[in-house]
Amino acid sequence: MGNKQTIFTDEQLDAYQDCTFFTRKEILRLHGRYHELAPHLVPMDYTNDPDCKLPLALIVNMPELKENPFRNRIVESFSEDGMGNLSFNEFVDMFSVLSETAPRELKAIYAFKIYDFNVDNYLCKEDLEKTLNRLTKEELTPEEVDLVCEKTIEEADLDGDNKLSFADFENMISRAPDFLSTFHIRI
Amino acid sequence: MTSYSSGGYFNPAYHDSETLEIDRRSSSKTHHTNPYAGEDPAWRGDRAETHNTFMGQSSSDDVVPRGGWQEESWRGRESIPMGLISTRPGSPSWKHGNNHSTFQINPDSQYDQSPPVRFPPPASGHMTMRWRGMTRRRMSMFPNTDLAHLVLTEDAIRNEMENEEQDLVKEFVALSTQDRIRAIRDLPMSFEEKKHIRSQVLAFRSSKQSRQFTCFADCSENVSLFFRRCGYSIRSARQTLELWQGIMKEIGGKFGTSVLSYFMFLKWLLMFNIFSFLVNFGFITIPLLVYDPLPNIPPNVSFRGLEILTGAGYFNHTVMYYGGYSNETLMGLVEYNMQLAYFFTIAVYMVLCGLALIFSMARSFKTNYVLAESTSNGAWQLLCSWDFSITNERAVRQRKSNLRVQLKESLSEKAQMELLTLSEKLKHFGVHLGSWLLSTGLAVGCGASIYYLCQYEQQLATDGANWSLLQEAETLLVPFVVSLMNLVVPLFYSLFYKFEHYSSQRTQIYALVVRNVLLRMSILGVLCFYWMNVVAKKFSCWESKVGQALYRLVIVDFLFLMLGSFFGEFLSNVIGTRLLPRLGVPEFDIARNVLELIYAQTLAWIGIYFSPLLPAIQIVKFFILFYLKKVSLTQNCQPPRRTGRAAQMHTTFIALLFFPFFVGALSMVAYTSWSLTPSEQCGPFRGLNNTFSVVGVWIHDLEEIPRSQWVVWIYQHVIRSEIFYFLITLIILVIIYIFWQVTQGRKDLIGLLRQQIVNEGKDKSFLLDKLQNFQKSHPNKKPKPRNPKKHTKRRSDDRSSGSQSNSNAMVQALLARQRLEEEEERRRAGGVLVPSDISTSSAMMQAMLARQRAEDQEEDLHQMPDKHLSSSSALTQAMQARQRAEGQDEYYSTAGFSEDPVNGSSAVIQAMKARQRSEEDGADDRDDPASSVSSVMMQVMQARQRAEEEDRIRWAPAPPQNPAPSGSSALIQAMLARQQAQNEYDDGY
Repeated sequence: MGNKQTIFTDEQLDAYQDCTFFTRKEILRLHGRYHELAPHLVPMDYTNDPDCKLPLALIVNMPELKENPFRNRIVESFSEDGMGNLSFNEFVDMFSVLSETAPRELKAIYAFKIYDFNVDNYLCKEDLEKTLNRLTKEELTPEEVDLVCEKTIEEADLDGDNKLSFADFENMISRAPDFLSTFHIRI
Repeated sequence: MTSYSSGGYFNPAYHDSETLEIDRRSSSKTHHTNPYAGEDPAWRGDRAETHNTFMGQSSSDDVVPRGGWQEESWRGRESIPMGLISTRPGSPSWKHGNNHSTFQINPDSQYDQSPPVRFPPPASGHMTMRWRGMTRRRMSMFPNTDLAHLVLTEDAIRNEMENEEQDLVKEFVALSTQDRIRAIRDLPMSFEEKKHIRSQVLAFRSSKQSRQFTCFADCSENVSLFFRRCGYSIRSARQTLELWQGIMKEIGGKFGTSVLSYFMFLKWLLMFNIFSFLVNFGFITIPLLVYDPLPNIPPNVSFRGLEILTGAGYFNHTVMYYGGYSNETLMGLVEYNMQLAYFFTIAVYMVLCGLALIFSMARSFKTNYVLAESTSNGAWQLLCSWDFSITNERAVRQRKSNLRVQLKESLSEKAQMELLTLSEKLKHFGVHLGSWLLSTGLAVGCGASIYYLCQYEQQLATDGANWSLLQEAETLLVPFVVSLMNLVVPLFYSLFYKFEHYSSQRTQIYALVVRNVLLRMSILGVLCFYWMNVVAKKFSCWESKVGQALYRLVIVDFLFLMLGSFFGEFLSNVIGTRLLPRLGVPEFDIARNVLELIYAQTLAWIGIYFSPLLPAIQIVKFFILFYLKKVSLTQNCQPPRRTGRAAQMHTTFIALLFFPFFVGALSMVAYTSWSLTPSEQCGPFRGLNNTFSVVGVWIHDLEEIPRSQWVVWIYQHVIRSEIFYFLITLIILVIIYIFWQVTQGRKDLIGLLRQQIVNEGKDKSFLLDKLQNFQKSHPNKKPKPRNPKKHTKRRSDDRSSGSQSNSNAMVQALLARQRLEEEEERRRAGGVLVPSDISTSSAMMQAMLARQRAEDQEEDLHQMPDKHLSSSSALTQAMQARQRAEGQDEYYSTAGFSEDPVNGSSAVIQAMKARQRSEEDGADDRDDPASSVSSVMMQVMQARQRAEEEDRIRWAPAPPQNPAPSGSSALIQAMLARQQAQNEYDDGY
């Protein structure tokens, strides 16, 4: 609206608003944040879809992600190459899923991806151990870690294959109302 | 699997190292990068190098068999060095001859157990089902794929995806714009893909529309675009207007969602009050002010300053209170009936409040309570409890340690629960009963004391207009005591938890909340009772008096809230940090603070009738409170140690706000307007029997206007008829019953479906077992025709069939040999005399023999030790067998075979054949990448040589007991043969 500099065309903004949970202002703010991360790399003008990707190391340094124990996994799960390089679109995607208005199913899918460290489409004990270690500063004894993971699997595993499939995970999420509010990053 | 733990794969340290993890992941990928192209990546090569080079190549569309197989291939690699290390004969660590069998069988049963049969292709039909299906398909497609996809080629998969996309686009086209946007947003894809689908949908639509009237289509397109943009701008603007966004983010980042929920609640209440202020001010006050801008204040009343606290005196004559409003019909541009306006504004406001509360409560219940179960606590703690919004480093650290403590507690709690004896249970019950009695008694006592205090005050108070300052100050006594009770007694309650032992944190919080609610209800109930029954009869303008009392309560409550946060948070912070460090920095007590808010809001609701502008005070109060609490929180508090289930707490609070408090306030106001006689001298309803009769008067007036008969009819036959309410109640009851039944039915259904999932899981594992057994019983049918190059697959079959595994046949032979040597040794120690010519010969010979025997054993044939041991020709036989074996090891050439003069026992031949067969299999593999094979071979040979050297060293000291007949020709022959074999072998490289 009468910006001195056009960052996006109206069509682009429409597309963003139609495909994400953000408003025009938020998209522009997100662009600002993205630009801030690497001012010399990210162009101000996005009207011609420049191909620009920021590496994981830059993105996890955002204050919103910096202290998150899953920061690397979050960024990795949203990057197309799986290595954590994010283009602006993927960046928007990430915060769109983590925004307040994203529906539970969508959040659950990405939460599952984040917790699935070894990308085998199951949360196995190994994944849970990693999650737990990240959540507790690795201060639990191995036996305790073992017990907690076993308990978790026992509680959430419906089909009895000793690991959590997405269905198990979703079922658990649906019974945990807080998930919607906690799986949420404000930008 | 115990024998396994020495291997890398099950070593936890190995898992934790990042690099190896990546290495492993990518290795499994590289291994199957393209199973159809027939190339076999050098799986036996240097692991690290290969994997690193392949890492970049693992593209997203490669087809990777999941689960069992990749583990399998990995494990196979691992087993080679393992076997070699253990070739050392007689090494003390080699104890698990028996484990060896588990080592072979177990992997299959474990890894092949779960073939990746999942995510059936999405059935066409219901929209959400469809995209969910697609989601899953996609999810499964990228990192790994399921078994079914193995059969498909990449092209087929791509086609299928494209088809699915087309279907999706078609479905979206059929939707309305609103739904379409929502559906696209909800797609679990990256933005690029969404944009692609969106553009396709748009293109499809426009092409469809262009066939219709182009102009119209254009117009409608433009209009819809315009409206959409308008909608977005409005949303944007609303976000800009959103209060305290930055502060909310900061609080959430530092203290987490649960503390944030308090501030959200506060903000919500503030909005509520702004709304009610606007309504009251707009419909009651403004018309009056327009008509008569100056308040008719008696000349002897002046503003003294104390009014701000007491609300009496000067304020008494302003529009602040009920008494300040007239009962006239204001004659301005239009006629404005103040009576009706007052009545309907309050009534409509109350109804709107009730509806808003009911709706937000119902929504909150729906999302937070209906499906919530307390059973999955551990899983919840692990996977759902982390608050992603926390950005503060200290908070993160604290949260981590809190979680650790909680997990430890939950582990120990389980153990503790079982140990509770009957006497302990009784003790707990006694303590609970005692504390409940005590708290209820306290609440009742508070109520009673307030009542007597009020009576005392009422004796002092006079109806006069002019109070001295002292008299005015005395009116503050009751609100002061009430607020003091509200401050102190809850603190006292919170001491109880030191004695009580609740099974869970939540019960404890709820108990605390219920006690506090009881206290506040009893106090408010007593006050209301006093106002209704005593004040209403004594004072001439009693509504204003009640309004003043409420005003004072609100103001004093505000002061005490400030004091509370000063004492409750600041002081305990000082004490905790300076004086008594063991107390620690205080936590922000969400439950207590929210109850304070609820109480404050209840006062405002009760006061809405008596003092229509009370919401204005409330707005100021909440506004200041927000900043106050924020500062107090950031300066003094630490995040709550127990995060509980914030969402459920929030629901509980809204429910509390609705049920005892709002309903209480509503009934109080309703009682006042229905049953109490309004004061004669002041207020809009002077001269009426009760407030509600204003409607009757109005209807009576309406009867004269001919066109409004229907209003009269409605009033006569609906509002005033009992039958109508009776019917309505009946219908609502029936509807409630039906919905309740539906809910029960759904609950049952959920249970059934869950059971079904469990059953499916059982079926799956049962079928898998069957399949496995089937594979075992038909070992040789499957592997070769299907995929001759895929040794991983075949290996598993080979192993399950029990024949020699091709990849590490050598290793197995060596292992078997070693086992036999062990046996041999044992046998000797046990006193079984072994013929002397053998025992005296070199270790070499024994090794050969053992080897031979091992080969025999592997074929499940009878050992014939006597035969082999007795004659020296047997020795030569052994030598030759060995020679042949070694020849095969290198080239699988049969050069040395034909000259074999000795027709050995059938056992030997059979053993040879078996070996040959296995090596044939091995040869298949070996001719792919020669270098890697050779390196492994080399390794094997070296290890073996080393083992044999050790053999020699070990056995060399032994001979003295039995002098060696060194000249035995058999021995020489054997040595020669060996040498020859060795030479040939060396030439090979």
